[in-house]
Amino acid sequence: MLEVKNLLVFYENALAINDLSLRVDKGQMVGVIGSNSAGKTTLMNTISGLIIDMKIKEARRGGERITVMGDVIFNGETITHMEPYDRAKKGIALCRERHPIFQESDVLENLKIAGYLIKRSELKERVDFVFDLFPALIALKSRRAGFLSGGEQQMLAIGMALIIKPVLLLLDEPLLGLSPAIQTKLIQAIKNIQKEMGITTVISEQFARPILPMIDYGYIIENGMLTLTGSGKELMDNPEVRSAYFGV
Amino acid sequence: MEHRKERIDRGIKARTEDIYALFSYREMLYLLVPRVIPILVLFLVTLLVGVYWQKVLISTAVFALLALSWDLLTAAGMVSLGQALFFGVGAYITGILNHYFNLSPLFTIPIATVGGGVVCTLLLLPVLRLRGIYFAMVTLALPLMLVRIIEATKIFGGTEGLSGLAGLPSTRFELYLSLIAVLAVLFFFRRLINTDYGLVLRGIRDNDRSVMRSGINIYWFKAQALFMASAVGAFAGALMTHVYMFVGMPVFEMDYSILPIASAVVGGMGTFAGPMLGAFILVPLSEALRGVGGLRIVIYGLFLVIFTVALPEGIFHYFQRKYHQFERWVKVEK
Repeated sequence: MLEVKNLLVFYENALAINDLSLRVDKGQMVGVIGSNSAGKTTLMNTISGLIIDMKIKEARRGGERITVMGDVIFNGETITHMEPYDRAKKGIALCRERHPIFQESDVLENLKIAGYLIKRSELKERVDFVFDLFPALIALKSRRAGFLSGGEQQMLAIGMALIIKPVLLLLDEPLLGLSPAIQTKLIQAIKNIQKEMGITTVISEQFARPILPMIDYGYIIENGMLTLTGSGKELMDNPEVRSAYFGV
Repeated sequence: MEHRKERIDRGIKARTEDIYALFSYREMLYLLVPRVIPILVLFLVTLLVGVYWQKVLISTAVFALLALSWDLLTAAGMVSLGQALFFGVGAYITGILNHYFNLSPLFTIPIATVGGGVVCTLLLLPVLRLRGIYFAMVTLALPLMLVRIIEATKIFGGTEGLSGLAGLPSTRFELYLSLIAVLAVLFFFRRLINTDYGLVLRGIRDNDRSVMRSGINIYWFKAQALFMASAVGAFAGALMTHVYMFVGMPVFEMDYSILPIASAVVGGMGTFAGPMLGAFILVPLSEALRGVGGLRIVIYGLFLVIFTVALPEGIFHYFQRKYHQFERWVKVEK
């Protein structure tokens, strides 16, 4: 379904992603685990295409030169240089890091903007679907999103990604800033969604402990390079992973 | 094998926190040349041009001062759409002192500079808490309001203005005074913004709440920046009043608000040298286009559009980059 081949990303002279290759099969849940500055967000931005927009903007104002090499292949089609909005039309939905939502709009409006691509007639049904997933949001329907708590904003952000029935769901650090108890709940919810709807999911995270048991396949990256791959179970049993991410 | 362009700093070799260790004449020249060039070029030009273009240079310098003042305000997070306010207040204070109290330009200009700064700061003090477009709207409205007050109450000569004011000794004197003022303000502001004081101002622009969190009263700092910027604008107004020997309602015209912003955009915001460079391109260009006749504004506008589309970072940023960095193709190593 998704294949990333020999990806290289430079921010000016700094190498953010170095010769990274990974593949995600249909219906799989794939984890990309790495510490800070490992290149997780850059990878997500490259797959979702936001980096193309950043690249053009920076180039126009003479800022950092962003170089993207290698291939991103989605359903047999090379999309490395496709604009992000065209990728969204193909069903790639990204839930960005630090859950940026529309602060000034209320929860329902947020979902409506996110659901721009679906037909008006279906929209109601999709909104109800999101509310079914996160019942906590129903009561907050007409509250301004900027005043929601961190966890509620996170739920909203994931709901906004799910509302367009994505083919490929990219979750960039969905657990950031949440307490361990809520982390487990959220990751369980994500797993259920993914299982029920069969959405292919790529999830990037620093916290390996809640993620590894859930994923079908995992990639561990460091400084933009792939260091370890394997199924969630294999990675959990790996002594290096245990010492680096579990502190055991 | 794929290639990419690499960007390398030309920079001098040893650079510590605040001491520049210079090892050779080459390095000294590297730092000195860009700073000496504007001074030399400006003074060479003054020797070469005739009286008409000397007058043009004076008004260019006035717009450059307004552009510099605009850039300082922007550096502190205050977007001003009303540079005419500073200009006009400075001009009127000078005119009043000279017309009613017969003070010589020797006194009117300094008094108008400081007084204009104080008056404008006091006028804008209540809106310092506003950010972005709200502050801009107030600065836009104030000069328009002041001009109507003068028109309606007929104070300070009303629509006629005050004429027959004292002039300065000679055109050359006016020219050198204005150019020295521009260079002095330029180097002062460039120095200021890189000190710890300037750091606070830039911090206010980036994230004012975080600056407040550091225990800094941002409104006090904003007021100081506002005073400096409006004093520079008021000086420009005072100078222009004595050059024209007249002050009237035109000093609050939109030209004085818009052209400095256009200069900053063309030249490159946030560098001070950029807005000054922009003024020195736009104002003489506008004069040179007078020969074209009716299409003048069209060509002028076209020039502005092309510039902002093709070089949105501004001329100065572009040349600064080319001067400090070079680029080369390198093979990508995995």
